[in-house]
Amino acid sequence: MFEKSDEQLIKKAQKGHKKSWMSLLKRYEKPIYHYGLRMTGNNEDALDLLQEVFISVFRNLSSYRGEGSFKGWLFRIAHYRCIEFYRRKRPTQGLDDAPEIPSDAAPAEQHIEHTQRNAQLISAMQQLPLAQKSVVELKFFGHFTFEEIAQQTGMSVNTAKSRLYGALVKLKTLMEVDYVEL
Amino acid sequence: MSNYDNAELLALWLEEKLTASQRDSFEQRCVEDSQFAQQVEAASMFKMQAQEYQSTDVPNWNKEKIFDYGVTSSVWSWLPGASFVTSVLAIVLVLTGTQVNITDGELRIRFGAQQSEQVVVKMLDSRLEEFRQTQQAALSLYAQTLQQQQLDSASQLTNYLLTSSRQERREDFAELIKFVNQQRSDDQLFYARQLNQLQQDIYRDADGVAVESVQQ
Repeated sequence: MFEKSDEQLIKKAQKGHKKSWMSLLKRYEKPIYHYGLRMTGNNEDALDLLQEVFISVFRNLSSYRGEGSFKGWLFRIAHYRCIEFYRRKRPTQGLDDAPEIPSDAAPAEQHIEHTQRNAQLISAMQQLPLAQKSVVELKFFGHFTFEEIAQQTGMSVNTAKSRLYGALVKLKTLMEVDYVEL
Repeated sequence: MSNYDNAELLALWLEEKLTASQRDSFEQRCVEDSQFAQQVEAASMFKMQAQEYQSTDVPNWNKEKIFDYGVTSSVWSWLPGASFVTSVLAIVLVLTGTQVNITDGELRIRFGAQQSEQVVVKMLDSRLEEFRQTQQAALSLYAQTLQQQQLDSASQLTNYLLTSSRQERREDFAELIKFVNQQRSDDQLFYARQLNQLQQDIYRDADGVAVESVQQ
């Protein structure tokens, strides 16, 4: 079946075409929801973040000029919404600080039917500082290049690379511990 | 030893952008640096796990709400435009040094910061002149009052002196007249006694002559 491109849907949605907007939303709700799930480790928070991201996208849709991919623009918004979300939830915690609570993944494990591996991965990610977690998320799940990650998160390319490197050191240990526990 | 650091090499490997020389460096680093090798292994493992990640369906949520929210909020869509226009207007007003004055129900709009500076200088001069005149008037009024006060004081003093000396003179004259009257009274008494004495003497003498003549 012929599928309309993002640009076509955006143009129509900008003119108030509800159906196009809904198509666009359905196309990206899953990646954004799972982005939220991996970033927050909590189903409720992931749904709140999903809603906030799409409200923000809808509000700013008129200012979208088609420079760069829509997916990149969408994830940039998601990234900033996620930072805001963290600041609201943990105002005293810096982006580079390790989370105060080791893992928020338990609710995700309880409420969602994830495979054991999904849960393990989400749990491990929750123990990374937000700055490292966002790079890991965008690199391994968003499949963005380091240039795109730098653009979306407002950091330099080298910082993005070193943050990923630092995150992998921690993840390796965490995943090994989880593997032993399993 | 290559110039590439571990993070850079790992990033290039993840993006599959290693050149031939970089690949050599990468492989050499994996052999020589066990920590780097473990990092590569971790990245590889995580990449695999990410690929195996099962994206479950999104739970039901109110998608319609967003569009409705956006349509409702579009009532205020003029707000950013209006905000931009007012900002531009404010910048123009500041740059052109526009001044708006309302005096006695009269609205004046002035452009140009230099002109306004001249106006300020002129206003300052006029205020200073006004102040000088007020001060001068106050000073002259003060001097005049002081002079008047001095005149009044002098007049009062003169009047007092005149009045007091006149009173004193009057009292002196009264004393003198009293004294003169007393003297005259004493004199009259004296003369009356003299006259009585003389009268008695005359009568006595006359009686003596008569007796003598009778005797003779």
